[in-house]
Amino acid sequence: MKKYILRRFIHMIPTLIGVSVIIFYLFALMPGDYIDSNRQITAQRAHDLRVLYGLDKPIIMRYFIWVKNAMEGNFGFSLKYLESVTKLINQYIWNSFIIAIVTLALTWSIALVIGVYTATKQHSLFDRLVTLGVFASLSFPSFFLGLLMIKFFGVDLKILPLGGMIDTGSTSTGLSYVLEVIRHMILPVGILTFLSIGSLTRYFRSGMIDALKLDFIRTARAKGLKERTIVFKHALKNAILPAITLLAFELPGLFSGAIITEQIFNWPGIGRLQLEALSFRDYPVLMTFTMLLSFLTIMGNFFADVLYAVADPRIRLK
Amino acid sequence: MKKRFISAIILSVSAVMLLSSCGTKVASNQNVKASKVSSIGDQYIKATDPSKSPDKAKQRTDTFVAAISEPGGVFLPYFYDNGWDGNATDPIFASLVGQDPKGNPIPDLAKSWNISSDNLTYTYHLRQGLKFSDGSPLTADDVAFTLTILDDPAYSGYLDISTSFIKGSEAYKDGKADSIEGIKVVDPLTIKITTEKVNPLNLTILGGQVLSKAYYGKDYKRGSLDYLKALYATPLGAGPYKIDKYIPGQEVRYTANDNYYAGKPKIENLIYKVTSKDTNLQLFQTGETDEDGFTTDKDTVDELESFGFANVRISTVSDYGYIYFNNKKSYLKDKSVRQALIYGLDRQKIIDVKYKGYGQVANIPTSPLVWSYNEDGINKYKFDQSKAKKLLDAAGWKVGSDGIREKNGQKLRLSYLTTKSTDEIIPIAKEDYKAIGVDFEPEIMDFNTLVGKLNKGDYDLASVRTNGLVDPNDSVEEFSSKKTSENVSGYSDPVADKLISEGVSTVDIKKRKVIYQKLYKELTDNPPVILIDYRKSVKAWNSRIKGLDNNNFSGVSSTNLSKLKIEN
Repeated sequence: MKKYILRRFIHMIPTLIGVSVIIFYLFALMPGDYIDSNRQITAQRAHDLRVLYGLDKPIIMRYFIWVKNAMEGNFGFSLKYLESVTKLINQYIWNSFIIAIVTLALTWSIALVIGVYTATKQHSLFDRLVTLGVFASLSFPSFFLGLLMIKFFGVDLKILPLGGMIDTGSTSTGLSYVLEVIRHMILPVGILTFLSIGSLTRYFRSGMIDALKLDFIRTARAKGLKERTIVFKHALKNAILPAITLLAFELPGLFSGAIITEQIFNWPGIGRLQLEALSFRDYPVLMTFTMLLSFLTIMGNFFADVLYAVADPRIRLK
Repeated sequence: MKKRFISAIILSVSAVMLLSSCGTKVASNQNVKASKVSSIGDQYIKATDPSKSPDKAKQRTDTFVAAISEPGGVFLPYFYDNGWDGNATDPIFASLVGQDPKGNPIPDLAKSWNISSDNLTYTYHLRQGLKFSDGSPLTADDVAFTLTILDDPAYSGYLDISTSFIKGSEAYKDGKADSIEGIKVVDPLTIKITTEKVNPLNLTILGGQVLSKAYYGKDYKRGSLDYLKALYATPLGAGPYKIDKYIPGQEVRYTANDNYYAGKPKIENLIYKVTSKDTNLQLFQTGETDEDGFTTDKDTVDELESFGFANVRISTVSDYGYIYFNNKKSYLKDKSVRQALIYGLDRQKIIDVKYKGYGQVANIPTSPLVWSYNEDGINKYKFDQSKAKKLLDAAGWKVGSDGIREKNGQKLRLSYLTTKSTDEIIPIAKEDYKAIGVDFEPEIMDFNTLVGKLNKGDYDLASVRTNGLVDPNDSVEEFSSKKTSENVSGYSDPVADKLISEGVSTVDIKKRKVIYQKLYKELTDNPPVILIDYRKSVKAWNSRIKGLDNNNFSGVSSTNLSKLKIEN
């Protein structure tokens, strides 16, 4: 087992290096750079700025300078915000994180329960209603639903806030601050959960149906075990296995921010920062953020492999 | 039975999909029909029923919530890179010279000023007892420090102080002198600045926002400005408000400055709240914000009017949209070709489709809000396809067998760069130019790529918009062949060059008006660009904020910010 983990871990390193090279080169090859976005400055000033930011050196040199700085924990200075990239990203990423993790927890729990229940009661009325709901969730665009809910709950009923993370001019701290943020999270989390639940429910449902058809389930029934034990103890454990890989891959999603939802709800997340950095060619921010997501994806892959080996003894013994 | 039912559904679904895709193809080839739209003038709609103000707003008895889009947190004048930081910084930093609602200079921190008869020496007289918000005194030394730091070799911000030609600034920048000769602190309340060349804008450039020497100059050494980065988030100024808290992506909060020279502002708290176009109308409607700028269309205006508590102002924005000619290309050097391209484009139709009444055709290279705007004797280039054809024929461009004009074996094919995929100019120009025998090839790309191509000269036509215009020189500067770095289009006209430099060589507005009148005539006759549009903006504010006039010259951050009152 330990050898297995070690081997997977060592495989990660060349992948990371390769990813960083590709990302850096792709960004560097994009036409137009940050200095170009300012139409007012003179050619001399533009040249001076390029030297100042090190944009005039050849790409290979710039890559190694970046790597060396990254090793020291210095991920550069945002060209647009004029502050350190790590500080900038830190300001926004945790706001996206709390929305994403609550959505993840809710989506998975609800999808699991509904998926299992509809699998056991296949073709019932409940199952058909859930299928309808699932397709609705897969069809609605997030901005449409978001704006509709804001109008309904915020403007008409006035029971939920219209956006932002805290009330305008609020100075609450401690518990009241936490409660206020939770109140503001209700709509964005609710909408994101509704939209993600669809595909996951179908996935659990089909996983369960397949598990329930296996021979050993018939044996268990023949032995006279309670239906509840059969479903939740024996079938579910087998159905959940592929879901473990899915869960591990949710890791980068926790930090990438939901761009459209954040825009509609004025939620100060990392999504908007990403878009801006892309359109303004803010390389330090782009590089660092893309590397972060790649790193999380690779880590997620690694965790998926390890967890699968832990959960499924058949992999371990191979 | 079941099988036939299913196959029927599949057939009908695929039929629908086929038809819908056909539909979109037809639409892009359809002629764009614009009904006769009348132009909407500037309007001021007063609130009809202030009592309808939402409860949330009424409860805020001592706070004014204004709207902002994307502040970046760099709260230091001259150093921020993002226009929204400018809005956020204005309430904190006062200038020597302020602006009245029409854009004319009025005393702010300076109670008066003298300009020498040769227009080269500026003497500002500061008011007595000026203080920064922390109680420290504001004197001429702080003004001298501000101007010196702008000339520092490491300064890389947006203000190019070299256009002021302060005496001794070059020597300071090159390290040959330790201070700037032309900046003289006569006494703590008087500062004299000597320049070497007349610039009509110097009064406001030299009289800009003042930075505290004690606070921002504590560790100042020439050539190193990095230490200022640590102070971006904690500004100190002499404006009506001081910063309270900055919540990134959410709000910038201010409290009234007790030490403000014109008296502590009556509204104790100011908040700039971050809003986006998706929900700003709802936020205003429910009282979360007291003012904002909204989408410019009739539905929005009608809805704002229906609220009852909103003052609404529809006014022209001080900018214009235009299309660059690449004047370096051989086929665009001939002015009759450029004139033909303007005659051959139905600009009124573009305005009608794009703005639906909230815009008008531009014929002068400045905005209607700038004092030099004058339509006398200007060729309006009314849409005339036969005239365009005649001009092209006379220039030697004969229509070829494929309908495209050619001369000496070269086809008249023009590339057009734009950043909008829904650019209204594309379908209209394609149709109009085809009719006169010009092949129009649009290319859609993002802004940075467009600017990169613009600088390399890799285009024929490119769609851009000016920044906010204050002085007539702002927009015509780039047409001078002497300004090689601003002049991306490669335009060169000796008459225009002479008039452009004359325009900034005198301070006398009457003389300048005459010069610009001549310049506009020349630029219309030999067009460097295709002028397209002026547009309107829709701004509204809750009538409970008394004294606010949210027009396009003086918004929330104007010089009278401290005089606003709340009356619920």
